[in-house]
Amino acid sequence: SYLSVFCLGPGAGQDVGRSCILVSIAGKNVMLDCGMHMGYNDDRRFPDFSYITQNGRLTDFLDCVIISHFHLDHCGALPYFSEMVGYDGPIYMTHPTKAICPILLEDYRKITVDKKGETNFFTSQMIKDCMKKVVAVHLHQTVQVDEELEIKAYYAGHVLGAAMFQIKVGCESVVYTGDYNMTPDRHLGAAWIDKCRPDLLISESTYATTIRDSKRCRERDFLKKVHETVERGGKVLIPVFALGRAQELCILLETFWERMNLKAPIYFSTGLTEKANHYYKLFITWTNQKIRKTFVQRNMFEFKHIKAFDRAFADNPGPMVVFATPGMLHAGQSLQIFRKWAGNEKNMVIMPGYCVQGTVGHKILSGQRKLEMEGRQILEVKMQVEYMSFSAHADAKGIMQLIRQAEPRNVLLVHGEAKKMEFLKQKIEQEFHVNCYMPANGETTTIFTNPSIPVDISLGLLKRETAIGLLPDVKKPKLMHGTLIMKDNSFRLVSPEQALKELGLAEHQLRFTCRVHIQDPRKEHETVLRVYNHLKGVLKDYSVQHLPDGSITVESILIQATAHSEDQGTKVLLVSWTYQVGILENILFKHLCS
Amino acid sequence: MSVQLSWFVARARRRFAMSRECSLLLPRVCAALADPRQPGSDDTCLEKLLDWFRHLAAFDPTEKLVQDNPCLTEFITSVLALPEPSPSILSFTLRLAGILAASENRFQHLQEKLLVRLFGRDGPLNSAMWEDASVRSGWVEGVHSMMHHQPALHFLCNGGGIDVIFTLQGDPSLFVASAASQLLVHVLTFSVEAEATKPLSTKDCDWPASAQMIIKHIEDSLQSSSASHIKQSLKLLTSLFGSCHATWTEVLWLGIAKQIESFLTEETVQAQHMLANLLLNMAWSPVFCDTEGSFWALVTSALERLTPVQAGPLAVGILRLYKCPQDVRIQALTVLLQPMDCILRAASQPLEYTGLLDESVSDPITVESLLSSKSSCASLLCQTLAHLEELLSLIRLPVDLPYTSLLRSLITILQFCNGFLSPASPLGSTISRILINCFRVQRSALDVLAALSERKGCDTLIGSLFDVLLAYLESPNTSPTVLKKTFQATSKWLVRLQELSCSNSQWQQTEKILEDVFLVLQKRLCSPCWEVRDSSLEFLTVLIKCLRDQDEFRQSLLSSEVPRLTENLLEDPESYVRASAVTAVGHLAFITYFAPESPVIGNQCNKENTVAKLQEILSTDSEGFPRRAVISIFTKWLRQGCTGQLEDTEQFVSRVIQTVEHDLDWEVRRGGLELVEVFCSQTVCQLGLSECPYAPVSSAVSSSIHQNELLQIFCRAKVFSFLFRSLCDCDKPVGQRACDILLGLRDNFYPVSTLKDSQGTGDSPAGRGIAWLQRTLGQGSLAQNFPTDDGNGVDFQDPESMMIVLGTIDLEELHDELNKSSDHMEKSPQSLLQDILATVGTTEENEADCY
Repeated sequence: SYLSVFCLGPGAGQDVGRSCILVSIAGKNVMLDCGMHMGYNDDRRFPDFSYITQNGRLTDFLDCVIISHFHLDHCGALPYFSEMVGYDGPIYMTHPTKAICPILLEDYRKITVDKKGETNFFTSQMIKDCMKKVVAVHLHQTVQVDEELEIKAYYAGHVLGAAMFQIKVGCESVVYTGDYNMTPDRHLGAAWIDKCRPDLLISESTYATTIRDSKRCRERDFLKKVHETVERGGKVLIPVFALGRAQELCILLETFWERMNLKAPIYFSTGLTEKANHYYKLFITWTNQKIRKTFVQRNMFEFKHIKAFDRAFADNPGPMVVFATPGMLHAGQSLQIFRKWAGNEKNMVIMPGYCVQGTVGHKILSGQRKLEMEGRQILEVKMQVEYMSFSAHADAKGIMQLIRQAEPRNVLLVHGEAKKMEFLKQKIEQEFHVNCYMPANGETTTIFTNPSIPVDISLGLLKRETAIGLLPDVKKPKLMHGTLIMKDNSFRLVSPEQALKELGLAEHQLRFTCRVHIQDPRKEHETVLRVYNHLKGVLKDYSVQHLPDGSITVESILIQATAHSEDQGTKVLLVSWTYQVGILENILFKHLCS
Repeated sequence: MSVQLSWFVARARRRFAMSRECSLLLPRVCAALADPRQPGSDDTCLEKLLDWFRHLAAFDPTEKLVQDNPCLTEFITSVLALPEPSPSILSFTLRLAGILAASENRFQHLQEKLLVRLFGRDGPLNSAMWEDASVRSGWVEGVHSMMHHQPALHFLCNGGGIDVIFTLQGDPSLFVASAASQLLVHVLTFSVEAEATKPLSTKDCDWPASAQMIIKHIEDSLQSSSASHIKQSLKLLTSLFGSCHATWTEVLWLGIAKQIESFLTEETVQAQHMLANLLLNMAWSPVFCDTEGSFWALVTSALERLTPVQAGPLAVGILRLYKCPQDVRIQALTVLLQPMDCILRAASQPLEYTGLLDESVSDPITVESLLSSKSSCASLLCQTLAHLEELLSLIRLPVDLPYTSLLRSLITILQFCNGFLSPASPLGSTISRILINCFRVQRSALDVLAALSERKGCDTLIGSLFDVLLAYLESPNTSPTVLKKTFQATSKWLVRLQELSCSNSQWQQTEKILEDVFLVLQKRLCSPCWEVRDSSLEFLTVLIKCLRDQDEFRQSLLSSEVPRLTENLLEDPESYVRASAVTAVGHLAFITYFAPESPVIGNQCNKENTVAKLQEILSTDSEGFPRRAVISIFTKWLRQGCTGQLEDTEQFVSRVIQTVEHDLDWEVRRGGLELVEVFCSQTVCQLGLSECPYAPVSSAVSSSIHQNELLQIFCRAKVFSFLFRSLCDCDKPVGQRACDILLGLRDNFYPVSTLKDSQGTGDSPAGRGIAWLQRTLGQGSLAQNFPTDDGNGVDFQDPESMMIVLGTIDLEELHDELNKSSDHMEKSPQSLLQDILATVGTTEENEADCY
């Protein structure tokens, strides 16, 4: 038995960009994540699903789609896949992912349509129709996709609602981690999985070689920079995507403002605070213990210092901090504010995430200070530009820790850079003595599994076997005889009689016959007598009988003699025996032929 | 070339041309890319760089590009000199070289030596780098780009490149394998088209050398015992016959037809679905569809021999053909209808069955066994149903389907699925056991059912059809996705039912069905599941849109609880549901508040309540969907002239404008502009200024009194302030829309000729772009010419100043500026080169952190 994994990435290398993995396990095909690559603005942003449609209609071929979390590189192509390419089957994700996913998709759709006036992109209605097809799952709930295929979600940290999924068919299983984080942060807990010993663990490896510097240090650094800017009367712009990291930063600033008793206003644009607030309240069980504990007295997401932003505030004098969308400074409000503030060296922009090539975010991060804006205007960027990563992925240590928890038989690394993955692969193989794969996009990895197929044994057979031997003992494997029957998709070992009865079959006796030619001119009955006496003499331990009808029996073996039709001097001995006899017929033949 | 096309080409040429700035940046970019000490560039940058080169190379086939930019050749040489280039840079180099060598001139310029070192035996293909799939992929793509002239073809074939491609067809990377197969198709087609000296025929078949190599390879593979080689060749042939419709393909086919035919009978190859694809592509090629006899005999035999699942796609493809022998069509139809026939047979008593198919043509045993097996039953039915839906969605069907029997079989399937039918026959009871609660089959069957409503001839079964649909709508076991499809099918059949009852006066039946539908809709509107509530509201809206003119429909709807429940859902916690409720309520109003004969017409209080609720949603809802829905409903009302029944339209518009102009969602603001556009157009028409909306005024004679009145109305309704502020909106579509509306409006006040005169004199508007406008509107610096309000900004309420503003601002220029896509800077080659250069020397830290 084997299972196979196929990564439908954007190019033929190990490119980080979008996740879309196809797993075939015991005849079931599951798509893990359906991500979009934001670095492209044409069809290359979506996976090339024609590689799957080669196998026939998508809905017939795929048994289900599983989405690990709401980031667009994991779910951005989903409405395209379900509403434009034509997949009409079930889609699974956790409850928070189902709630938040459409917000991010909608956010991105608006930016895309706004910016490029593109046509080949999904609409609002498509996002809704897609979300209606989603079946939401709870953590640790075993969901039966069909009679054979079941899935189960485990907590992954990373972002609200992120989950790792176990996919199981019979006794074969795969765990897909999606993105995960093994250390708790300010609002989420650490990823956890039980010792489920899957045949394969598919793990992300974004930080395959990095051991992340202390999170506290990064946070301190961030707060220091914001504080300094505000103190000297500057404005701080933090471009963010609607939901996710923004909330982590909000908690950070809120606590700091409270502690330091700061008065400068903090604004959050586009009404997202209320929305985020709502979802974090709704899914409070998905946050970490600290948040849940304090929730009783005060909801961490009901911010005292963070207010809704109005467009007119950008021109207000004095210091302020503004969270604005979109996160890459390529359109909309964040870009508008950036243009207003960029010329003042007292101000600061903090980029908390990755920016694709071409965007203003990408340009200022790579150090460009003179930007050509529309209409050939040159915008001189005098404000400070900072990059502050807060993304929550497992580092090398975390990945090893997860492998230790789950004890997989094989590991497959995805979502990382080739060189870094190679290092980690060696480490995993050395430490855990398991095979570790890192396929390029477009390559199929086949992993042979040794599924142990459970077989039930009937009580009757067990009693019969124990009556003649010892009682069953786990430490001493014992050979048992019986008839293996497959009924209602399960195997059972039963006695032959019971098998016949259950399957409604009649018993048949199988006899083997053989003719032995003997040169003997005597009469037939004399030949028989001679053979009888000979056998009686040599087979002393067996019951040899001469029956009245002239035939001989040796136990259950029957021997009859007739004259050859053409040659009277030759006698033909007809020997007939059942399959049960075993060695006896060999001995008999040896004697007859001698 | 049409004028428009040549304009596009010229624009694209300008956009991607090698500007002076770019040619200055390019050498540094090349040096950075070839420098192994630099961190690898983002893959998307390299892809976009190749896109640019592809455009440059396509627009100018001369060697100018490589001559003027020697850094390109130097780049290739220096990458080749690297002991261990990064796979992504090597792959990029191979692809770049291929793009450059696509024209014969540049091919010669690059010299074979350099190309041999890239694509020949001593190049990457014999180095350790070849292990990397991206390098192999780059090699295939490079060769593919190059293959547009004979020297390249000879270069490939003489250097043994063809053999490399043959091997790559079996590459572990599916991307590489598929690209290699496509490349072979391209080489074969190109070779025959460029090199064949005379037309090829079966008698005189003198293939050019390169084509000969490929054809021999195909023939050898097909005769080999290797299943993978056979499959590769089948794949290649499939794409060849799919893309090339030249007559020589038939010559090629005749050489391999016998071998291919043998695969139909041999089970060892296991390539049945590939065979079906191959035959389908051939059937669609004019070369084969016109042939007599042998090809169609092979298709018929394939339809007979392949299993129903394998033959399904072939059958449906054949049925879409207009040119096809009748017997093949019947065979294809048999394949598709057999499972449905089997369902009907399984559900009926032996004697009463009048089937779908003539028993002489069908062989039901295989289908029966597939349908009685748990593992194959649902997939066979889903596939068949999908194919039927595909056929039914065609406007003109080349074949007659037995619609009534088809409908009966669909009803039966749906009854099996919800356990309403468990027939006594062994086959029937097996199938019904397998299908019970099978959502996949339910969804597929409902899709076909919806498609079938468009076809005539199913009317006798309409009663039992609605029994089943209502049972699905009512059943708590119906999953939300199935329920959505049931709603879709029900709405389509209700429209059909209405048409029927008009023609045969069966009002009672229709009334009863409508009553039942609304009863069940009442329940569904209260479902705890938002998906169900939303689908129910969408269903209601569709029904109102289609049936609002029908008396029975209106009566049944208004006498049910549905309208009240729909209004309640305006306060639903789920924003999607609120938005759908807004749309439904908006449409309901057409048959309640705005219908002259409506019984609720007099209830002014209710009407005002509803409008107030929608207004409240527009101003306070935290989500964009409901607000967008409200503005779109208001526009619809205005367009249909209903708002006059509410209050003064001017006031209504003014209030809506004030609500939406500060909305955080740009689509709501744009929706507001649409409302303004309708309002302006209607006002202009009412005042008789123009027969049709936005037509320019023919002469200045048109009454200035009317013009003045118009200006006053627009000022009072705050239209100008909204439009001018929208011009400076941070979201481009809003600005574009506002500009379009202003252009249309201006033409009502300034005939084109007078405008040119006025703009040509005095204060030139040149350079008055968005930035100028933004400053002006904010600071009131137009004040020299116009009166301002107290805050020293432009007074948008003053008709006179608005008249002057309209004449002064160069809206055409603004229009051009706004229509320049905001990412034009991002997409420019210069920006790309700058970005690549800027990353030189930066640390990798920023790149790893994707999210």
